[in-house]
Amino acid sequence: MKKVFTVVIAVLMCASVVFAQAAAEENPTISVWVSGAGSQVEVLKAACEDFTAETGIKVEFSAPGDTYEEMMKTKMASNDLPDVFDTHGWAVVRYSDYLMPVNDMAFYKNISSQIIPTVSKDGKTYVLPFDMDLTGIVYNVDVMNEAGVDVDKIKTWADFEAACEKIKAIGKTPVTLGGSSGVTVGWYYDRVAPSFYYTDETNSKAADLKSGKFDPKPWEEISAMLDRWVSKGYLNADCVTGDFMGDITAISTAKAGFDFIQNVAITMGRANVNPDGNMGMMPIPSKSASDEPSLISGEGVALGIWKDTKHKAAAEKLLNYLAQPEVAAKVCTATGNVPALTNVKVDLGVLQQYIDKYSDVEAFNYFDRAYCPSGMWDVMCATGQDVLAQKSGAVAESAKQMKSTFDALWGN
Amino acid sequence: MLNAMQSKNRTINLFYVPALVLFAFFVVYPFVKGIYLSMTNWNGYSRSFKIIGLANYKNLFADKNVRRAFVNTLIYGAGSTVIQNLLGILLAVLLNQKFRGRGFVRTVIYLPVMIAPLIMGYIMYFFFNYSRGALNDILKLLSLAPVDWLADGNRSVWILTLVNSLQFVGISMVIYLAGLQNIPGVYYEAADIDGITPSKKFLFITLPLLMPAITSSVTLNLIGGLKLYDVIIALTGGGPGYDTNSLSTLIYRYYFGGERAGYASAIGLVMFVFIMIVSNIVVRGLQKRQVEL
Amino acid sequence: MRKANTVLRTIAIIAILAVFLAPFWILTTISFKPSTDTSSYWLLSSTPTLNNIKAAIEKAGIFGAIGRTALITVCVVVLEVIVSAFAAYPLARRSTRFNKVVQAFILGIMMVPPLSILVSLYSIIVSIHGVNQYWAVILVLLTYQLPQGIFLYANFIRSIPVALDEAATIDGCGPGRTFFLVIMPQLKPVTATVAILSSVNCWNDFQFSRYILQTSRMNTVTLSISSFFSQTYIDLSTATACALIAILPVVICFLVLQKYFIQGMIDSSVK
Repeated sequence: MKKVFTVVIAVLMCASVVFAQAAAEENPTISVWVSGAGSQVEVLKAACEDFTAETGIKVEFSAPGDTYEEMMKTKMASNDLPDVFDTHGWAVVRYSDYLMPVNDMAFYKNISSQIIPTVSKDGKTYVLPFDMDLTGIVYNVDVMNEAGVDVDKIKTWADFEAACEKIKAIGKTPVTLGGSSGVTVGWYYDRVAPSFYYTDETNSKAADLKSGKFDPKPWEEISAMLDRWVSKGYLNADCVTGDFMGDITAISTAKAGFDFIQNVAITMGRANVNPDGNMGMMPIPSKSASDEPSLISGEGVALGIWKDTKHKAAAEKLLNYLAQPEVAAKVCTATGNVPALTNVKVDLGVLQQYIDKYSDVEAFNYFDRAYCPSGMWDVMCATGQDVLAQKSGAVAESAKQMKSTFDALWGN
Repeated sequence: MLNAMQSKNRTINLFYVPALVLFAFFVVYPFVKGIYLSMTNWNGYSRSFKIIGLANYKNLFADKNVRRAFVNTLIYGAGSTVIQNLLGILLAVLLNQKFRGRGFVRTVIYLPVMIAPLIMGYIMYFFFNYSRGALNDILKLLSLAPVDWLADGNRSVWILTLVNSLQFVGISMVIYLAGLQNIPGVYYEAADIDGITPSKKFLFITLPLLMPAITSSVTLNLIGGLKLYDVIIALTGGGPGYDTNSLSTLIYRYYFGGERAGYASAIGLVMFVFIMIVSNIVVRGLQKRQVEL
Repeated sequence: MRKANTVLRTIAIIAILAVFLAPFWILTTISFKPSTDTSSYWLLSSTPTLNNIKAAIEKAGIFGAIGRTALITVCVVVLEVIVSAFAAYPLARRSTRFNKVVQAFILGIMMVPPLSILVSLYSIIVSIHGVNQYWAVILVLLTYQLPQGIFLYANFIRSIPVALDEAATIDGCGPGRTFFLVIMPQLKPVTATVAILSSVNCWNDFQFSRYILQTSRMNTVTLSISSFFSQTYIDLSTATACALIAILPVVICFLVLQKYFIQGMIDSSVK
């Protein structure tokens, strides 16, 4: 009996500690949610800590990594969003209903005109963008030299395959693609799809896609190309089960020629794997010789303020703090991307020369973000994994499933 | 007197009120809401959605991914149950013998039960990885070609079943050890006098008397296997493609990745009914056997 | 014959030990390997490092996570023992039709896939201001542990002779006192089982904690380890070091308490 009471009292004490702690946190604290992992998160976290030190406003920082999107969805469902959060490419399509326009804020005039259209709707801009995700295909310079490949001569996918053949001949992996989580497969489609759907103005299907019509034919060709690469041995042997860090390791240690990861492959590879990794970035080939190679451009790290926040003043203060050139620059350095604020100057190191070199190459937004209803990503990745695994009928099936999901999500 | 006891008895029903309040709040209410959502086309976050009646239920029976997940769930459930129980009995018989270090071996077998399935999944990554995996290192040592273990969905389903079984076989072993220790030694002595072979002793004495233990162990394993989730998320994420999804992981992917929350809720309900039916049939069947003995 | 058996048994036992210890061995070797060391996972590094452990302690704050997980676990277990022992008593002793329905209902809860109700559950937690509150995660974990506890207690109480209760009633004890004086003292073994089973489940929980404890400041053990396995960034060395440190308390607990553990399991499963 005595024991029982002791235990009960112990519980009550534990509970009171918990509640007391909760009560102490009542004074204004703003919650900040950031997607992704690794250095870009660490930079933002450190910046928030500096902000607290300077202003006394506490920041509840959260970076749930892979579960970010699903947690944001549950939070949207219950209208309980963080005061400040990252929109990871979906500022307009998914989050604009929940965001406060930033048009009146001090940093607004500094947002680059190139990114404004991507993060605005009806004249309202919803986020503070840090960087522009301007990217093509990352390659290893040493591997290209050894194989005798001149990347400037790669104009079409046929040229690209010829280059793969040369790389294979010197015993290296032409393309590294670690498909275990699906995201890298998704990035393959995101990079290749524009060249099959709309980079060629004479034959663009952009308007169809925007109006809810999905032509499965080009998709089947894109899957067939991936399937062909697997068959010809252009991909790493563990393309089905390899992972993101495996790709970064292969590309930065000159074991593979190309990869389909953003520029962060270069910064992360040099920071985490091989400081001497010699990587470059090239535009994405086109489908036909009459078309031109292109780049992908999208929203990078971008923070917005929840429209129903209870701490509006504090949240605005934080965005203004983060928009300062020296703070924003750190984020761009971490992602290896071009700044989205005109007053931010960043030395992108090895990457800078490629950004300058391709400054007049036309850039298109990510295929799934710009032309698909939200919710296609998972199908894109999963059916792509089936193609990688060379399951029978996977090529046709990928196009069929894309079409049926596209139609279902459009409500056709 | 009897009346007084009856009324007093009724007041003891108050004892389960706290539990029922918690269930009502955190299980029943969300569950009922889930039934409602299963009849909508809700995407999981947006404010507006339509009620579409039973369309989700109709669609799910035609959905190839659901069928696959359904079969996988059966394999995870039945496969784990069979492997865990066979292995559990074997280990129990082995570790019921007296030898030095017996306690240590039992401890080692039970140890994985304590580890989070999520962490176990991550550890297994180091075994099944293609380029550096511990298993392929062994193959290399034997100068065999490395295998990309998780590249084939059909094989991965069995790998996951095996990982789950080996992690939790300790529970079955302990249950069977207890069962064995409850069997009176006189039965075996009598059998010895009659000159019955060890295998017959096992079949005709040990197994029948283990029936209650088998019921406990099978029920635990079956429900655990049918609800398998963490280890799949950690090891294959349901891939390649949709090949290794259980119904749980498929619900998760449809709900969040596919933005089809209404549809996922419908699958959730069907899964609940399915687990109810399967475990009821199995438990009933086993209990009947116990009675007959 | 006997000798051959002993040899076979020894071989079997060595094989079993190899299979079951391998995961722990690999976890150990990787935890002490520099991330640049590409030697086989089976081998200890020739240049062992403590950097991963340091990162786990400093960067990942694994000790904090262990402390928080322990706090949550202890609260859930204590509450569960009390609530489920109480709830089991009428179910075991008064088998009216209504109580049978209640019991079937409680068993049914064990089979609800938590995922199918997660979002509605989450909105409830938001509406009671439970996000980022330990009490919310404690209540939710408690709710989902209860059916198992009630089940075990009810089975156990049924095996206690009713005559004892009746004697107490005749002596003038109310149901409360009967429970405290007659039933409670007998529940020790099954309490050990309930406590141990649910503490393992709470310690290892991922799904519920993920949604309720959202700030990294409140990370539990599984949450902090999973944060190192991202689709786009994998820090294996830190993750393994975290995992190694995190399983130590569990393993030690188990080694110390295993007698009760196995005995409890035995008492409850065979009844």
